[in-house]
Amino acid sequence: MSTHAAPAKSAATVPFIERHYFLLRRLHSLSGVVPIGLFLIPHLTTNSSIVWGSALHQGKFSDVVARYGSDAAGVAAFQHEVDFIHSLPGLIMIEIFALWLPIAFHAILGVYFARTGKCNIDRYAYQGNYRYWLQRMTGYVGVAFIFAHISSLRWGWTFGGLLPSFDGAHAASSTASHMQDGLLGSTIAILYLFCVLGLIFHFANGLWTAAITWGLTISTGAQRRWGQVCVAIGVALAIAGITAVIGFVTLDPEDAREVENHLVGQAAQPAASH
Amino acid sequence: MIASPDTTSANPIRTITVSIKRQNGPAEQPRWESFQVETQDTANLISVLQSIAARPVTTEGSATTPVVYDAGCLEEVCGSCAMVINGRVRPACSALVGHIVGEDNTITIEPMGKFPVVRDLSVDRERMFAALRRVKAWVPIDGTYDLGAGPQETPDRQETRYVMSTCMTCGCCLEACPQYQKEAEPKSWDTSFVGAAAINQARLFNMHATGATEKDARLEALTGEGGVNDCGNAQNCVKVCPKEIPLTESIAAIGRDVTVHAVKKFFTGR
Repeated sequence: MSTHAAPAKSAATVPFIERHYFLLRRLHSLSGVVPIGLFLIPHLTTNSSIVWGSALHQGKFSDVVARYGSDAAGVAAFQHEVDFIHSLPGLIMIEIFALWLPIAFHAILGVYFARTGKCNIDRYAYQGNYRYWLQRMTGYVGVAFIFAHISSLRWGWTFGGLLPSFDGAHAASSTASHMQDGLLGSTIAILYLFCVLGLIFHFANGLWTAAITWGLTISTGAQRRWGQVCVAIGVALAIAGITAVIGFVTLDPEDAREVENHLVGQAAQPAASH
Repeated sequence: MIASPDTTSANPIRTITVSIKRQNGPAEQPRWESFQVETQDTANLISVLQSIAARPVTTEGSATTPVVYDAGCLEEVCGSCAMVINGRVRPACSALVGHIVGEDNTITIEPMGKFPVVRDLSVDRERMFAALRRVKAWVPIDGTYDLGAGPQETPDRQETRYVMSTCMTCGCCLEACPQYQKEAEPKSWDTSFVGAAAINQARLFNMHATGATEKDARLEALTGEGGVNDCGNAQNCVKVCPKEIPLTESIAAIGRDVTVHAVKKFFTGR
């Protein structure tokens, strides 16, 4: 009954994004939760193992603790976690198909969708509107950060020594020495923490909006309750993120390197000590 | 009969300054004019605009044209007088001077920014009605024979639907929405974001026993580009809705319905 009935468009003339709009929107939402958000949880708990490792695993790494002191348990725990990840079969396939491609997909569509909005917090300074705006800002920052993060620490692109690289056999000491490398190290540590907290917000808030998008939380009460759960998840991850940075900034890289060298030596002759 | 103003009690006559963003026509440049108005705290903004129309002289003393605005019911049910008052969208009829006048004794009024200005504070909300057509916001009862009595409605359902039915298409939810942008060209109305009001109406008619016969068509319209997926969950709509309609609940409910609709369509093909 529309007075200006549009002529039926053939499938070829309709852009790809319009034809698969719903699917792309929902895949964008899903990819933020699984795999990307789900990955964020073990990633941050692994990083913070530099601190909780020394608190929880004195017994598990009693030999290095006896030799190098109680801090060595954190170094050993972190190295143990990193070694476990590096030992995963087909790691490069997991990285490409479960991480890099989903992140690229989420980032490209996210920027495309974010550009359809216009910030109006100057007029409507509601908490929800601030979160709407922050979700987009942390998204933009997150794209730049994750690219720098993966390209330097995983692919070894240091951009002329500006960004640190990661030494898998000396996981804790290489991370700590980069973060303690004078002004550049402090800047990287602060920027890193800023970006990580931004992405944690992005994940927690995205988890909250995804429940609305998919229609899991309908009533205002349900949205409030799920919001509280998301805040709890965000706070827990933020604690893990902050803990990790404090742990690496305060760790003595020389001592850590000795522990790691010891562990490498142990791994080379496993039968001898057990 | 008009009662004489009560000047003895706590509602004295006061003089305020009203700054209005004016525009002579759709393609004209906007300008600001201010007026001194004698009014009372209990007066609404429409009566302030009536005072200006009765004596269209600016603060500087120059004669001007009366300010054009839309108003109908004056009791917040017709939705025609929504405008941006002190930076926030709301119906002018239910905006009382005492509640909105600032410390500086000034009230600022602008037309809504998401719709084409007809003149001054009057805007063309046609896109909202196009959105209602887009989501088939009606009950299909037209036919060649008597359909008889409709199915019974439970009081519980009726209560849920009642508040949703109070939407007056004022446009406040769209004006405050960061995802809803001005689209002067009717051609783009089929793919640009449909907005909270129409999504709520789709839910209202989907929940109607007879209206539900068009449910799939409504969900199909809200599945594609410009449908419910374009919501960014800023939730400004529910904050500014003068009728306190749970718009964000309607958006979430339609979100669930299009999820089910899409899965059903994937497996059954329709």
